[in-house]
Amino acid sequence: MSTIDIPEPLAFPADPDERLTFKVAGKGVRVKDAIEKVTGTLQYGVDFAVPGMLHGKILRSPHTHARVRSIDVSRALALPGVVDVLTHEDAPDLVWEAAWFNYRGRVLDGTARFHGDDVAAVAATTPEIAEQALELIEIDWEILPSVLDVEEAMRADAPQIREEGNVRPPYVVDWGDTKAGAEEADFFKEAEVTFQSQQYAPLGRNAAVAQWQGDRVTLWTSSQTPSELRDGIHEALGIPQSKIRVQALPSGSSFGQWWSNNFMLVTVLLARKVRRPVKIELDNHECMISVKRRHSEITRGRLGCTRDGTLTLAEFDHIIDNGGYGFKDDVGFFCVDMWGRAHHGNYAIHGVNTNRLTAGCMRGVGDVTLGSVVERLADQCAEEVGMDPLDFRLKNQIVAGEELRMQHAKHSLRGSVDDYLAGLSEEERASMPPMFRLSSGGTHEILKRGAEAFRWRERFKGWGRPTLIEGSIRRGVGVGTGAHVCGVEFEGNSSAVVRLNSDGSAKVHASCGRQGQGSETTLSQIVAETLGISFEMVEAETGDTDSVPWSHGSLASNTMYRLGWGVREAALDARDQLLEIAARELFDRCAPAELEIVDDHVRRIGDATGADYSVGQVMMTLRTLDSLGPTSSITGRPRRLMPPATTFARHFAAHFVEVQVDVETGLVTLVDYLATQDSGTIMNPQVFKNQMIGGAIAGAGFALHEEMIFDDATGAVRNGNLLDYKLLRAADFPINGDVLFSSTYDPVGPFGAKGGGEAPIVAPGPAIAQAVRNAIGVWVDMPMTPERVLRALGKVA
Amino acid sequence: MTQINVNGRAHEVAVEGWESLAKVLRDQLHLIGVRVSCSEGECGSCTVLVDGQQKTSCLMLAGQAAGHEVTTIEGMGTPDELHPIQEAFIEEQGMQCGFCTPGFIMSAKAFLDENPDPTPEETAVAMSGNICRCGSYPYIVKSVQCAARKLGRRREEEKA
Repeated sequence: MSTIDIPEPLAFPADPDERLTFKVAGKGVRVKDAIEKVTGTLQYGVDFAVPGMLHGKILRSPHTHARVRSIDVSRALALPGVVDVLTHEDAPDLVWEAAWFNYRGRVLDGTARFHGDDVAAVAATTPEIAEQALELIEIDWEILPSVLDVEEAMRADAPQIREEGNVRPPYVVDWGDTKAGAEEADFFKEAEVTFQSQQYAPLGRNAAVAQWQGDRVTLWTSSQTPSELRDGIHEALGIPQSKIRVQALPSGSSFGQWWSNNFMLVTVLLARKVRRPVKIELDNHECMISVKRRHSEITRGRLGCTRDGTLTLAEFDHIIDNGGYGFKDDVGFFCVDMWGRAHHGNYAIHGVNTNRLTAGCMRGVGDVTLGSVVERLADQCAEEVGMDPLDFRLKNQIVAGEELRMQHAKHSLRGSVDDYLAGLSEEERASMPPMFRLSSGGTHEILKRGAEAFRWRERFKGWGRPTLIEGSIRRGVGVGTGAHVCGVEFEGNSSAVVRLNSDGSAKVHASCGRQGQGSETTLSQIVAETLGISFEMVEAETGDTDSVPWSHGSLASNTMYRLGWGVREAALDARDQLLEIAARELFDRCAPAELEIVDDHVRRIGDATGADYSVGQVMMTLRTLDSLGPTSSITGRPRRLMPPATTFARHFAAHFVEVQVDVETGLVTLVDYLATQDSGTIMNPQVFKNQMIGGAIAGAGFALHEEMIFDDATGAVRNGNLLDYKLLRAADFPINGDVLFSSTYDPVGPFGAKGGGEAPIVAPGPAIAQAVRNAIGVWVDMPMTPERVLRALGKVA
Repeated sequence: MTQINVNGRAHEVAVEGWESLAKVLRDQLHLIGVRVSCSEGECGSCTVLVDGQQKTSCLMLAGQAAGHEVTTIEGMGTPDELHPIQEAFIEEQGMQCGFCTPGFIMSAKAFLDENPDPTPEETAVAMSGNICRCGSYPYIVKSVQCAARKLGRRREEEKA
């Protein structure tokens, strides 16, 4: 039985009042690469080239599930301009894994597990010749039985796609006693929802360029996870990590697509075979049919509720279709925690493989799907007891200090929270916040302030009541909520290095992506704020694995919270080293703690008129007065362990929307939009408002239009292009769409910040679905295309 | 050899009949600001101006540009002297990953040349030929409105 007594807020060594003195943190400074972006000079993966480079193309499977009996490349090799062909016979018999089991398999192993799977690759002097040569490769295929339906794939007699079998053991989050939860309930709301798959539909595509020098390889590609990609090459080729250098370049929109992808490893192997640099550039179609997609999922479940609107039970069974190579079973679904006031709960997640395009984490994974079902059922409970959806959320959703439900999150092969905690010393444990309680925020503040800004109380006319009826037009309002994690620790901690230069400038080395979220800017803000130097004096290197310490990279809303923690700790270490030198050499051997750095100058704390020395002057003493010291530079590293973020940190979104539905055509349009967010301190509001609205638009796309179409017989993607896969455009979203941030200050995150990138794509679906329900009286499954709307209205069969 | 005038300079290029203008601009003239994504005229990333008219350069054959004036993002402004539209996109943060940005800026140029004082609604419709997958649309619309104001002020100054 759970309690909603709210314990004392977490007292962790951090001070919310420090926000009052921020000079760089929390400010909307201009992103560092803004000029490169508006002048078109920013170099993405597709723009990269090296001298002497060949061009590669990948042969893709025309079959759903098939094994290569034999492969004849002689005709391809005879084509003028072709240099060589890579087949599975050249590939090591080694399994590699992308982060979070987004991919698990051999680079090429002679078996195609989906239509479009990588089979072989050609290197030639031009991309056109390479493409032509693909048609000359002759393969004798053994067609294998295939399975496209995820529930068929779960049956014992189904064709098995992988050596590990199709089905992962279920991952279960449970608390209390579901039987008791059912007995406490006065009524239940149940649902079964089958979700379609969302495509990343990346603008910008991607390319990989690999170059071998002796037995060392360098790979340039757009990636959000440089360190994980280096590890993947190490696993796939069996060569030491020291011989691998990944230089991650900026990417176009990614949403989780460009982590470590098999085509990057194909490029590495092809370049090794031809002993020359090779570039493989994917066209837009290949990006959409061969790389990855959002899992397609099926949710079945129910909520139990009392007449006073208290949730007593949450019981869900959720299946995720991983396609051919995804290997996930334990996606964190943070709706579990957001709705964690339910007295008893059981969420079971089943990861399953099918012969459809391989699937992986896409922005807001799990919460976009399962989360939207929980929201819909909660709305139905609210309606049943006559409560406003806002009040129902305030009554049943978590706030800071309350217990989290996801207490034993595992990561099947590489440890669990339990292992992590068992490994901590008592001292380390004592230095961390209480585990399994939400460290800050929640939905309550943003719901209340959002409701005020949106005039919710005035505009919500009651369940199923439109705000406007005019001819065939109906309007309605909706509010939806979403949560996601702030980074996950299991595979290792996110470290960083801060180097101080002799002129007082600083460089931060931190492994993450550059897909538009401005991390090189926000991480530099953390360094500038910590060191007391100006933003212009700080630069960031995020992509070169020869210089950045290991980090997960930009995934799981990790960058600000966990990598930001590492960056702040490294900057603190650099600061302490600097002040020690300054105290010894320039301030009469005072205690370093008596000094501070303000506006690029070191002085005694609060002493604005006494002696001060620029950071550059202090640094120069390392080369002059202190020249016999052990080092002539300062390198700061984290000295403390990042507490395990999954045990206390979540970020939240609440979105308010007004929709218009034409009951004659079934078309749903968005009329008004407000996105609110609890992400603690917002390091850069200019950057973040864009990320919030961008999430709202991608979430609205999933709710209204976006849907991959698969061929019934072969599983081939039918709409793998931007003509047939519809994305929202500028005129499809309210131009006055606005944002609002909570005042939350997280006690753990750097300067009170939390993660933020994913909840914004989670909340739109539930908000829009509820608004449609209020406009036209029925619930419509996503995507709410005109056809589905008319079907829900009983106007078409 | 084919002569193409790009950003005020004449270039002689060897062009295959099947080669798109986008390909020649990127591969032969090294203008990487001409971004190519969908290659079917849907996304607008490769938008350039041909004699001032907005064109998706992925759908235009390079040969068709012979003798015409092509303007790419590289012809708009330099880091030291940005075009007012580029300044506006920075000020209003009309971008995230930046891949679609040059295409949007070129579309905005063509649009504002014809409609110097648009309403935000008109701008949103005019910008709907381009896709921003990151979803910066409201800020792109604000950027174009801001650019219209900047260009308006510039015209006033020139008159005075």
